[in-house]
Amino acid sequence: MIRGAIAIFRRDFKKFAGNPFVLVFTLFMPVIYLIIFGNAMGGTISHIPIGVAQEDGSFAETPLFVSATADLLHYQPETEKPRTFDVTVFSSESSAKAALNAGNVMAVVIFPSSVSNDQAVRLYVDSSEYLVPSLIESGVRAVLAARAAPNPVYVNRMYGDIEYIQFFGVGVIVLAIFMTTMLGGGIALIRDRENGIIEGYLVTPVQRASIILGIIASGTIKAFLAGCIIFLVDIYIAGIIVDSIGTFLLILLVIFITSIGITSVVVSFASRFSAQQEYASSLAFLNLVLFMTSGAFYTVLGMPFWLRWITVINPEYYAVHALRSLILKGEGHLIGMDLVALSIFSCIAIAAGIISFRRTLE
Amino acid sequence: MPPRRTTSGMPAPGAVPDSGSIIRIDHLTKIFPEKSGAVTAVDDVSFEVQKGEIFGLLGPNGAGKSTIIRILTTLLPPTSGTAFVGDFDVTSEPDRIRRIIGVCPQNITLDLELSAYDNLDFYGNLLGIDPGILDHRIMELLETIGLAGRANAPVATFSGGMRRKLEIVRAFMHKPLILFLDEPTIGLDPESRREVWQQVERLNTEETTIILTTHYMDEAEKYCDRIAFMDNGRLVALDTTENLRRSLPSGDLIEIGIPGRAEGLVAALRADGRITSVESTETAVHITASNGSRFLPDLLEIFETFGVSPTSIAIRSPSLEDVFLYLAARDHAARGTGREEGGGSL
Repeated sequence: MIRGAIAIFRRDFKKFAGNPFVLVFTLFMPVIYLIIFGNAMGGTISHIPIGVAQEDGSFAETPLFVSATADLLHYQPETEKPRTFDVTVFSSESSAKAALNAGNVMAVVIFPSSVSNDQAVRLYVDSSEYLVPSLIESGVRAVLAARAAPNPVYVNRMYGDIEYIQFFGVGVIVLAIFMTTMLGGGIALIRDRENGIIEGYLVTPVQRASIILGIIASGTIKAFLAGCIIFLVDIYIAGIIVDSIGTFLLILLVIFITSIGITSVVVSFASRFSAQQEYASSLAFLNLVLFMTSGAFYTVLGMPFWLRWITVINPEYYAVHALRSLILKGEGHLIGMDLVALSIFSCIAIAAGIISFRRTLE
Repeated sequence: MPPRRTTSGMPAPGAVPDSGSIIRIDHLTKIFPEKSGAVTAVDDVSFEVQKGEIFGLLGPNGAGKSTIIRILTTLLPPTSGTAFVGDFDVTSEPDRIRRIIGVCPQNITLDLELSAYDNLDFYGNLLGIDPGILDHRIMELLETIGLAGRANAPVATFSGGMRRKLEIVRAFMHKPLILFLDEPTIGLDPESRREVWQQVERLNTEETTIILTTHYMDEAEKYCDRIAFMDNGRLVALDTTENLRRSLPSGDLIEIGIPGRAEGLVAALRADGRITSVESTETAVHITASNGSRFLPDLLEIFETFGVSPTSIAIRSPSLEDVFLYLAARDHAARGTGREEGGGSL
C-alpha cells in the first residue's frame, strides 16, 4: 500500500517539478493575489469628485459657502492619507446638477443663502457607488459641524439606497462572461488543437479567418447568454429594476460588445497555448487582474494610483461602469465613453485573435 | 487478390497535363530544427503517383511517411525540393490543392457528441459543397457505409470500424481527385479492417487516386497497386508488390521440421546450387530457394537419402516485411550507416 502511494506521489511530483511554467505560476499567483487584492480592496477612498454651489437666488457668496468649500477641499479624516475630496466650485445650482447628471462629479452640495436652522444644506449624491455616498455624507456633516452651522442637511440619494449585492451583482455579469469564454471557448479550442481537429479544418478550402471568426462568434454567443442569465438572476435576487425598454436593450448591447471583446482576447490567448494547464493558469491570472481592477468589487477611487492606471486600459472597467450606469442608474447617456472604449477594445481583440491564431497555424 | 487496374499509359484527362502522374515529388527534403539538433524527417525523396492508383507509403514509425503526407496536404512547407499535387505547387498554391484533396487523418477527428449526419453536414460546409445537393450527398454516403439508418445517432454510439468508415467518407464528400488516408485501419479488428478496405476500393473505382500510409504490410500487399518503402526519411524502394518481392534474392522460405540435428544433411544442402541459404536448429531446417514449391520434391529426396524424415513442412513466399527488412538493410549498408533512432522493426 505504501509503495503504491509513494509511486503515485513521485509521479505527480516529477510532473509538477518538470513543468517550470506551472511551478512559477503556482508560487507567483498567491503573491499577485496578495498585491492586487490587498490594494484593490479596502484601500483609502480618496479624491472623490464633488461639486459645490450656492443656492440659486442668492447673489453673494455666503461665508458658510466659502469656508465649507475650503474645509471640504482639505477634509482629511486621517492624517498621512490623501485628501478625500476633489472639489469643483460651480457658479449655479443648475450647472452643478448638470455636472452630477453627466457623471463628472459624484455629489453636489448646495449651500443656502444664510446660516440658520431652517435653511437646509442640500446634498445630492450619486448613490450607485459602494461606500462613496456614505463617505460624502459624513464628510459634509463633519465640515458643517466643525463650523458650528445649525443648518439641517437634506440628503438626496439619487438612485435610492443601493445594496452591496446590487452593486456587486452588476460586476458578476462581467465575471460570468469571462468565465464562460475561458472554460467553454478557450479550453475547447486547445482540446480541438490537441486532437488534430483544427488541423482537419486546414486541409479543406475553408479560409483561416473563417475558422477564427466562427470560433469567436460561437464563444461570443455563449458568453452573451451567460451574461444575460446573470443579469436576469440579478433582477430576481438583487431586486434590480430596469425602467425602460431602451435601457434594457442598451444593457443587452453592452453585454454583447463586452462578450465579443473578452471572447476574442481569450481566443487569442488560447491559440498560443498548447497545454491546458498553462492556459488555465495564465487565464486565471488575467481574470484576477481584470476583475479586481474593474471596480466590480470595490470602488476604483479606493485603489492606489498604479492600479487605477490599469483600469484605464481594462475593458472590464468600462463594461462594469456602463452596466452600472444602465442597471443601477438607468442613465443611458452616461455610457457613450464606455461604448467607444469597449468597441475599440473589441476590434483590437478580434484582430489580435486572428493574428495569433494564424501565427499558431503556420 | 482484388483486380488491379493498369494505370500506365492511360491518357490523362483533366487536371494533369502530361503523363499519368497526379502527384510529383522532386528531391523533397524536410528538416525540423530541434533543440537537440536538426532532425531530417524527409531526406531527398523523389517519386510520382499515377492517376487512379492506390499508392501505399510504408515504413516504420518515424520513417517520414506522415511528414510527406503533411507536406502534400499543405500542412507543412518543405525545406527544399518541390512537390506538385495535381497541377499545383504545394508552396505557392496551397488553396487550390485543398480543393482537390480529401484527407482522413490518423486519429479520429469526428465530433463524438454530434450525429453522423451533423458531422458530414459540418464538413460539407467547410468543403464548400453546393447546399442544394448537400443533404442528398450526405444520405448517399451514409447509405454506402450502411449508416443511413443511424444518421441521427451520436457518433459516440458507433463502433471503431463505423467511425473510421464515416471519417473516410467525410474526406470523400466533395469527390476529391486525391484521397489521403493516414493509417486507415489502425486499431481496428480484422472484420472492420476488411470493411474499411472494401470502402477504400469502392472509392478508388470512382476515379479517385488514393494515397495511404500503413504499418500493416499484409494489407498494403493485398490492396495497393504500388508501394513506396520509406526508412529514416529516405525512399528505399518503390514498385508493385510483385516486383518488390522479386527484388528479394533469396526466394521462397521453406521450413522443414526434423527429429534431431543432422549435420551431414545440412552440409549436402549447402552444397546444392539451387539453395540460397540454409540454417539449422535442433528441430528444424530453414531453407531459402527461388521457386521453392517446384524444388520441394527434390529437396525431400535429399532428406530421404540422409535418412531424415521430416516432421513438418511449411513453405511460404517472402512477406513484404521480409522484403522491407532486406531493402532497409541494403540501403543502410549502401550509405554506411547503422540503424538509428526512428528506425525499427515493423
